Amino acid sequence: MRLNKAWIVARKDMAEFKTNKYILFTIVFMPMIMGVLIPLGYFLPIQLFATEDSGPPREITLTPVTVYTNDELTNGTYYNANFTNMMVSNSIIESSYIFDSTIISTVVNNSISRNVTFYNCVVTKSNLYNPALLEDTVVANSVIIRDEDPEVVLITLQMLSFILFFYMMIPAVTPTFIASYSFVGEKNNRSLEPLLATPTTDLELFVGKTLAIFIVTMVATWVAYIVSAAIVNILAFPLLGYYPLPNGLWVVGFIMLAPIFCILSIAANILISSKVTDVRASQQIGGLVVLPVLLFVFLTFAGPAFSSVWMMIIYSIIFLVADVWLIYFSTKIFNREEILTKWK
Amino acid sequence: MIRTENLTRKFGKVVAVENLTLDVRKGEVFGFIGPNGAGKTTTVRMLCCLIAPTEGTAFIGDNEINRDPDSLNIRQMVGLLPESPGLYERLSPYRNLDFFAQLYGVPRNKREERIKDLLQMLNMWKKRDEPVGTFSKGMKQKIAIARALVHDPEILFLDEPTSGLDPRAAKTVRDFLSDLRREGRTIFLNTHNLAEAERLCDRVALVNTKLVAVGSPMELKRRYWKRTTQVQLKAISPSILSAVEALPFAKNVRTQDSKLLVDVGNPEEDNSMLAQTILAAGGKIQFISEMERTLEDVYLKLIGGGS
Repeated sequence: MRLNKAWIVARKDMAEFKTNKYILFTIVFMPMIMGVLIPLGYFLPIQLFATEDSGPPREITLTPVTVYTNDELTNGTYYNANFTNMMVSNSIIESSYIFDSTIISTVVNNSISRNVTFYNCVVTKSNLYNPALLEDTVVANSVIIRDEDPEVVLITLQMLSFILFFYMMIPAVTPTFIASYSFVGEKNNRSLEPLLATPTTDLELFVGKTLAIFIVTMVATWVAYIVSAAIVNILAFPLLGYYPLPNGLWVVGFIMLAPIFCILSIAANILISSKVTDVRASQQIGGLVVLPVLLFVFLTFAGPAFSSVWMMIIYSIIFLVADVWLIYFSTKIFNREEILTKWK
Repeated sequence: MIRTENLTRKFGKVVAVENLTLDVRKGEVFGFIGPNGAGKTTTVRMLCCLIAPTEGTAFIGDNEINRDPDSLNIRQMVGLLPESPGLYERLSPYRNLDFFAQLYGVPRNKREERIKDLLQMLNMWKKRDEPVGTFSKGMKQKIAIARALVHDPEILFLDEPTSGLDPRAAKTVRDFLSDLRREGRTIFLNTHNLAEAERLCDRVALVNTKLVAVGSPMELKRRYWKRTTQVQLKAISPSILSAVEALPFAKNVRTQDSKLLVDVGNPEEDNSMLAQTILAAGGKIQFISEMERTLEDVYLKLIGGGS
């Protein structure tokens, strides 16, 4: 097979996708909407719930590594600093500016905090609320977690595996829209015959057309992943005290399972395209490809054991076998003789 | 250049093409004429290696159809204009042609020049960047013809190139085909338009699943009809008829309005004697000419009105 011929076909198809508003909408807006709305929809309520439920400041017990006693910090500016395991006692913190910093497991006791600004900081498992004097201290645009709530952590982690499967729908559903235009559209437009008359092999044409759909779908999927991972991290950090993504589950999902779902969907849609003459009919039938993805949602509900990294790898292998099987049948029907004499 | 040997294609029990044996010469414009369902498109598809024959075979140059790597060589040698233009309507003419030029392996440095030449010849250069979907049917057909020629093929297969076009667009396409004919390109022309075939083709084949007749339009006309001289008279009298019927070379003398129709073996020799006889019998000749038979007459005689 000459890959350059396949790439010529793929580039032409991608140039066509750019001019089709339905395809553009699918590959731009659907991943963006899912990438933004799903993390917001699932993590924002957890965060609000956790904040409301956290109650008044509590004394926490910790073993500090750094102890500041009888110390004076005046007119200091701290940028992008990391305060971890600190105990500040009998000290004065005055006219200081601490921003873009992380404060973890730190307690301020019996001290004076005057005219201090914490800006854009993340304060975890710390207690900055019990100095002897708290005067003109501003905690702005910062997230303060006083303690870790095991229930919130559990829900957050479950949500991480749960929403992953929404993103697996992008590589499964997007090819349904694109392939229907790519194959049924080309068939209806009668542009297949001149294409078939060129000195390319059936396999080169098949790979070229499949590659165009695959590239576009996977770019949309990974963009959705990056956007959603960023939002998830921002929303989940205050709940967990660390950035949860990327984790093993999401890496396997987006690197292995998503491409496998994408190929499954493309191959299934080629089979469907050979039997229907209408783009919308193709899309409706092609939508059934999403059923295997829904299986994951149910499996996630079945328990954490079903959404582990190893289970993801097993799912990937199962669907890889399905891919090979479907590609075999797709290439069987994607040949000149079949297309011109048997495709509807 | 194109040779078929008992080429046959069946779709289930339906025979689309049966035992077609043909020989198309290099540089010839060959008309392939027949009713709907006569197997014309199927034949072209077999010759372009798009579908396989059920029986028989064909050769394009030295390459045999449906045999690797000959199939790829054949597809490189031929340009196909299918019945429907089948362009990518969201793309511009330039992008359409550039895509096919790339697939046909036209080198990058020659692609732009070739596309420009073709679009200029077809008066489409100014519209090279507009989406094809906004074009009229005639304009699309021009782009489709340019696409078939973008790799400068030795053989051109044209399936109904003027079908559905308005007279002006059809004339533009025919004029362009005449130019291609002068270039000496081998052209295989599927058409229903018998006047077009008669004007453009060196030879034609009449088919109705099987090959019915093949030859130049003139040969076919002469093969099935005697040459007829028609004499327009002011009035036809019985004495004129008797005098003409008495001529040894005159056959099948008949009248049509005020025209006298006479089958003659050799009009170049016989017409002067015919004219003298009519004048001698008191006839007043207004004009005298040979009655023209058309390819349509041949078609209707051999194939009839239906498929």
